[in-house]
Amino acid sequence: MADSNTSGSQHGLSNGTPGPSVPKAIGSLAKKQADVTRLGTQKLKFVPTLPARRKKEGEVKQEENVPKPATSERGRGRGRGRGEGRGGGRGGARGGAPPVEMTASGPFAMGPAMAGSSARRSTPRSNFTPIVPLGPGPSSLGAGLTSSAPPALKREKDKDTDRVKVEDDDEVYSEPDEGVEIVDMENVRQMDWMAPESLRKEKDDAKKKKKQAKETEAAAAEVDLANAVDLSESEEEEELEDIIEDFALEAEPLEESDVRQERLYFFQFPEPFPTFVPRQPLPDAAPIDVDMPDPSTLTDGSDAKGKRVSFANDTKPPAASPTPASAPGADGIGLAPDQKPEEVKLDGQIGQLEIYQSGAVKMRLGNGILMDVTAATQPSFLQHAVYLDMDNKRLCVLGEVNKRFVVTPNVDALLDDLASIGIADELQIDEEGLFKMDTDS
Amino acid sequence: MNAEEDRLVTVLPIHLSNALAPNVHIHQFPLLTRPLQAPPSARAAGKRIAARIKPKVKRLEVHVPVDTRQQVWNNERARELGVARVEDDKEKNQESQKTKLKEGEEPRLSEVRIQSERIPQKGAYMLGVVRDAGRLHLHPISESYQLRPTLTYMDVLSRRNKRSRAGDDSDSDDGPPPDPDEEAPPPVVKKEKKPTPGEAREVQVAARRSDKEGGQAIQGGLSAVRREMLLMIRAEEEETWEDLEYCEGETEESGHAFEGVFSRSQEPLECKTAVADFLNNIRGLQ
Repeated sequence: MADSNTSGSQHGLSNGTPGPSVPKAIGSLAKKQADVTRLGTQKLKFVPTLPARRKKEGEVKQEENVPKPATSERGRGRGRGRGEGRGGGRGGARGGAPPVEMTASGPFAMGPAMAGSSARRSTPRSNFTPIVPLGPGPSSLGAGLTSSAPPALKREKDKDTDRVKVEDDDEVYSEPDEGVEIVDMENVRQMDWMAPESLRKEKDDAKKKKKQAKETEAAAAEVDLANAVDLSESEEEEELEDIIEDFALEAEPLEESDVRQERLYFFQFPEPFPTFVPRQPLPDAAPIDVDMPDPSTLTDGSDAKGKRVSFANDTKPPAASPTPASAPGADGIGLAPDQKPEEVKLDGQIGQLEIYQSGAVKMRLGNGILMDVTAATQPSFLQHAVYLDMDNKRLCVLGEVNKRFVVTPNVDALLDDLASIGIADELQIDEEGLFKMDTDS
Repeated sequence: MNAEEDRLVTVLPIHLSNALAPNVHIHQFPLLTRPLQAPPSARAAGKRIAARIKPKVKRLEVHVPVDTRQQVWNNERARELGVARVEDDKEKNQESQKTKLKEGEEPRLSEVRIQSERIPQKGAYMLGVVRDAGRLHLHPISESYQLRPTLTYMDVLSRRNKRSRAGDDSDSDDGPPPDPDEEAPPPVVKKEKKPTPGEAREVQVAARRSDKEGGQAIQGGLSAVRREMLLMIRAEEEETWEDLEYCEGETEESGHAFEGVFSRSQEPLECKTAVADFLNNIRGLQ
């Protein structure tokens, strides 16, 4: 970290002439688009004076700064703070200013996501979309926009510095000038309802924290291993662990019990989704025009339709169902006259979700169906699961989908099954284990 | 992953219920990264998110009130756009009963209209929720939609600007010139001729091909497709909107619906599909 002058070569350039801090041998390469104009003069840019920063952060912050020189009030205030901070601290306060402890004050002091509207929108979304709460009153609206007193936000980065010891994660800014507050770029979103989003950086922090945790906890021998592990591998492990968390975590009740804590997950199964029928054997699979009054209300629907009588209780009459049935044993798939044959109301257990120590998650359904569950690509946008109630003319938002999963048949089980059934012959599997694909169909 | 050292940690039973099918849908907002909420300023003014639907063509619109604070909203522009939107609504027969009440005051843009687009589903989609008792409940998702804001009122504005310009250049809204190989649209198009210039495109095309109206049915492929498209557009424009009550996540109705997703029974269901059915359903495989 001692090479603060050269490693942060952008900082070096920001000091003034590009000459002294950049070796001549790569003088041409040293010119970075963002830093130097075509004439070779120094482009004015706002660079916070930081002693030793992660290059990645430096780049991100500068790129964010350059395109918006002085567009909005807020931007100006922020830019000026940094620009002047740089100017004032040039050659001086760099590396010397202590971390500015800022406490939250004002209408957004509560922090994100405490209005009770988002307790269910957790993990992947809340990482980058904290919701600005309503605030205590109408006077608070727009308070964040006045340049005279922008809210000072609590610097969450300080927490990180305690945890990440290896890398200096300090967000050290020079002393703010009068009338100008320094706002961390990532906290811009919280300043106002209409504030723009900041780029996500959670992944890096999480990854580095994990690495850090591995290093501090593991024995000496394993530390080397952890260092040698590819980033891609650690990413995979992260994802699998996250899956475990999604399923195995016991829901801790939050203070507001009226907000649903259950997370919504989206599963993508291969077509066709296995058909399930109630356990009862049906003498006639064709649609039976049994006049079953179908209340189709939310509460009674599932109970009225599905009659589940297990084999052990075969003699038990379908007394659980309030609807009368003409054929006592054949009403597993009784249909209301206006219903399509496929709309069988199902309600019951279809299998189990197995979580293994390695992080693999499998679904075991009936008939020996084994499927692997993996996390899908998580979209960054909002997804709602909704219920469209045309009877009441209502669109109810069930909630936001937190995570997507892809369910695929477990190939080993599939092949074993094929071998046992002898479908191998049908598919004309030859000696090498290949079979012909009919591409014309 | 060695099977030997892979120890089973937890087992969650999986429940399936389709009690609310086929009314459970997924709405994606590709252009939105923050939760869908009315801004605090609008909420304080009493505005809520509204929705409306055309059930037959499966078109849904969600109207989200905008933040009209002076620091972030340009009222002048809002008035211009509001007028444009009213005009656009009239053309496309999209007026809702609510907006008709505002005849006295000048129209202003006060909401973002987010329109849905139905997306085909790849595979079977399921909504899964883990109940704290350690059970995974699945419910099929029947339809998927992607919702994006519609800015069709901008067309009205740009048309007006073009008209006001002295140039005689053809409207760029015309779209590509009709393909010479393409067959004429059916005479139905002519009957749809509306007095407003909103349909300029269709009128022009029909006029140019007026001589070919006899042979439109015979040429097959393209004309049939085109006819279908036009019929679809027509059907959509003619269907009226039905207003929906939009219940956000925390409302009681949503809670009620949410509870309906869960399976109530513990009875095991029998599986009728075998593993090999997955293979059989892959297209191209024997």
